[in-house]
Amino acid sequence: MSTHPIAPGARWVDPAVLARVRNLEFVARSVVDGVINGLHRSPFFGASVDFAEHRGYVPGDDIRRVDWKVFARTDRYFVKEFEADSNANFSVLLDVSRSMAFGERLSKLDYARTLAACLAYLVHMQRDRVGLALFDEAIVEFIPPSAKHFDLVLHALDRARAERPGHIESPLKKLAEHFGRRGIVVVISDFYAEPEEVFRAIGPIRFRGNDVILFHVLDPAEVDFSFTDPASFEDLETGDQLPIVPEALGDRYRALVQAHLAELASRATAQGVDYMLLNTAMPLDHALFRYLSIRDRLTRTR
Amino acid sequence: MTFLTPLFLLGLAALAVPVLIHLTQRERRQIVEFPSLMFLRKIPYESVKRRRIRDWLLLALRAAALALLVAAFARPFVRGSELSAAAGGPREVVLLLDRSYSMGAGDTWARAQQAARDVLGSVGPLDRVSLVLFSSSAELVLRSSADASRVSAEIDRAEPSAGSTRYAPALKLAASLLAESSLPSREAVLVSDFQRAGWQPDEAFRLPAGSAFTPVLVETSPARNLSVTPLSIERVSAENQERVVVTAGVSNRGSTPADVQMTLEVDGRAAQTARVQVAPASAAATTFPAVTLTAAPLRITTRIPEDALAADNAFHAVVRPSEVLPVALVGAGGRGDSDLYLTRALSIGDRPRFQVTTHQAEGLAPEALARTRVVILQDLPLADATSARLRSFVEGGGGLVVALGPRTSLPPDADWVPVVVGGLDDRTRGAAAKLSGFDYGHPVFEPFRAPRSGDFSTTRIYGFRRVTARPGAVTLARFDGGTPALVEGVFGRGRVLVWATTLDLSWNDLALKPVYLPFVHQLVRRASGYAEQPGWLTVGQALDVGASTTGRVVLTPSGQRRPAGEAGQALEVTESGFYEVRNAREGQPLQVVAANVDLSESDPARVETSAVSLAVTGQPGRGEQGEVGLVVPDAVQEQAQRIWWYLLFAGILLLIGESWLARRLTPVRR
Repeated sequence: MSTHPIAPGARWVDPAVLARVRNLEFVARSVVDGVINGLHRSPFFGASVDFAEHRGYVPGDDIRRVDWKVFARTDRYFVKEFEADSNANFSVLLDVSRSMAFGERLSKLDYARTLAACLAYLVHMQRDRVGLALFDEAIVEFIPPSAKHFDLVLHALDRARAERPGHIESPLKKLAEHFGRRGIVVVISDFYAEPEEVFRAIGPIRFRGNDVILFHVLDPAEVDFSFTDPASFEDLETGDQLPIVPEALGDRYRALVQAHLAELASRATAQGVDYMLLNTAMPLDHALFRYLSIRDRLTRTR
Repeated sequence: MTFLTPLFLLGLAALAVPVLIHLTQRERRQIVEFPSLMFLRKIPYESVKRRRIRDWLLLALRAAALALLVAAFARPFVRGSELSAAAGGPREVVLLLDRSYSMGAGDTWARAQQAARDVLGSVGPLDRVSLVLFSSSAELVLRSSADASRVSAEIDRAEPSAGSTRYAPALKLAASLLAESSLPSREAVLVSDFQRAGWQPDEAFRLPAGSAFTPVLVETSPARNLSVTPLSIERVSAENQERVVVTAGVSNRGSTPADVQMTLEVDGRAAQTARVQVAPASAAATTFPAVTLTAAPLRITTRIPEDALAADNAFHAVVRPSEVLPVALVGAGGRGDSDLYLTRALSIGDRPRFQVTTHQAEGLAPEALARTRVVILQDLPLADATSARLRSFVEGGGGLVVALGPRTSLPPDADWVPVVVGGLDDRTRGAAAKLSGFDYGHPVFEPFRAPRSGDFSTTRIYGFRRVTARPGAVTLARFDGGTPALVEGVFGRGRVLVWATTLDLSWNDLALKPVYLPFVHQLVRRASGYAEQPGWLTVGQALDVGASTTGRVVLTPSGQRRPAGEAGQALEVTESGFYEVRNAREGQPLQVVAANVDLSESDPARVETSAVSLAVTGQPGRGEQGEVGLVVPDAVQEQAQRIWWYLLFAGILLLIGESWLARRLTPVRR
């Protein structure tokens, strides 16, 4: 992604402030417009009809795509190729497991909800089809991608509650069946699972030709582990308690978390999956620009 | 360290409270919701389980403050002289050092000196020490001295004496020294072998209230101790020579039998020896062949070989030829039996022997008076001439016994007679008079003092002369009507005893009673001023040098010459052996006196130090063998030391420091 100048007003909006505004559409529009308005050129807008190149006809190609004018001049069959389809399928898979409720100032779920809304709005503005799936240990809600489902998506996001324990593999495998058409699948989660399990879960989606983007949302406290007082730590998902002396365990915990993140990132790179770590203190435009850059790349890819 | 109220120490259990709060309570209440324990579970559990205390300093401060407060309430104090002295201000220490001869056994004395010096070691610069050396008497060597080195020098200089142990004089002296002291803390330290012989539990001596008493027991060496016993001297007369048979004994205080060679020394030369076998814890005696007496006093010593305690291995005695007391019996004559009872009574007895001569009143010539010591007048009308002779006889130191009868008459100017003789009291009709009102404290009646020691009550008096005692005269007995029966008066250097009835059977039946003989002996002895010379004195007793001491010196057994001092002043016997009283110029001894140590001192039996402490302070002491123990009441010691006050103060300071530190640390954590 290039270094596009960004409208100063949108960039520094604190996600915590946005989260207090309950109207997701308004929030999404404010954020996305701020981002888009700052761009000098909008290569992603309506670019789907642009001619790309000619290539030789191979059996199996749709004869409707044969450029007859070129055939008339050269007496050879050429197929006319265009830029990628503009009306891509875009789905957000949002983790609403209990662990997503964690957050000192702003819960991860609220952050993820706002992020999903922003992405949905952005995609909707690009005339792409927007879909949403909420999952924890099972599929909580599924809205298939459609150009008309933007409002439904927003409603579903608004209703999302982190109440049950989560399990990433089984719901994602089920969801993969719904993504028959190639598109962009954004998974927003805290990925409290082994990296192997995470990539096993997104494998079926990826294998169906979808581009997968992983937004790993974490609270700063989860990364820094800035606790000081000894206390019983309660697992939000299982309810288990463990007496913890942060001073004694902090270093080892941070090392384990960093190893986990590094493993996720390296596996993502290896498998061609986009992976981005977000913490709830980061402004949302980071994620949006990341998405746009990925989208940009996808449009240039056959 | 001891506590006056140790139950308060249970409060130390509260020390666990801050620790428990620190470790458990806070964690239980604080539950942190965390998205997942996935990573935390991967960390080994044991390290999680260990709880760490963050603010060690705070915890230590709180625990220390609490411990100090609890300790303060438990009222701690230290039993011991050092700390009580340090806490109670300057001390007045009276150091009583036993120097009886039993302390001379083996190295006992050196250890006693060391123990005394050890006491000085605990003396502070503000303390004052008095040193009292005691045996049978107590000697104040140093009074309230602040110079410990001087006291130490006096201790080094001191030596065991020949005296026996007596605690009472020393303790009384200590009590008076402590009572006079103005210092806040007072203590008496008794360094002794604590022999039972010198301890009389009923002696009432108490140190002033609040005084400490420290018994320091110096163990005597366990070696066996043999000692001689007092001599038994029996006089026998054979072939006009007076001889003495000496029986000497050996006492074995040890636990093994002993075979002892005993030597009898006469005038410093070994005369005879005998072997004596003595069983453990018993005594045996042997009798030596008779020794002939000479005119000079005979110095007799029995001796056994020296053992660890040498002072009791010899016994000295001086044997003199029996003394003869010339008595002149002057009767009116005419009654056959008037002198019979008296002469018979005076013919018996060897201490002294009486040599009785009878005279008529007219025949009492000055030469006869000069040879006699006592004159007995039996119912005699005295003529003026006789009266004058008797007057000068009495004035010169003679003794006179006057028995009054119906014929007795005295010249009106006979002021040397202690009575005025009145009329006759005839009791031949009606009830006979009886004797009563005896002065048993007087030497004449002293032998009859104890029960069954002579009964005068059965004596019937049928007649007596009513007499009135002159001023200065002493009435020693009365008749039942109250009139004097026996009156004593002193005239010049002599003594006159007037018996208001007869000494034969004419007016009473006293001569038929068993008390007659000792009574007559007592009368004559008293009139003559006879005093029996003891065969020996015991160390601590007084040596009577004699009435005239001018120019006399006393030669002690160790060879020292001491001036006899003023007339009437007794010289205390301090050594064992023979004392000689001599004229400063003449060589021959005027008087020889044997002196022996008190043999009860050779008994090593010991009195419990706690018993001594109990008697001295009213509280049983803790002092055990060789240890120093205080017997001050615990409450008094605690009050003097006031350690609780310091603990409370320190505890409060710690609490202040704790709150300051906690305030400093709290913002840092936030």
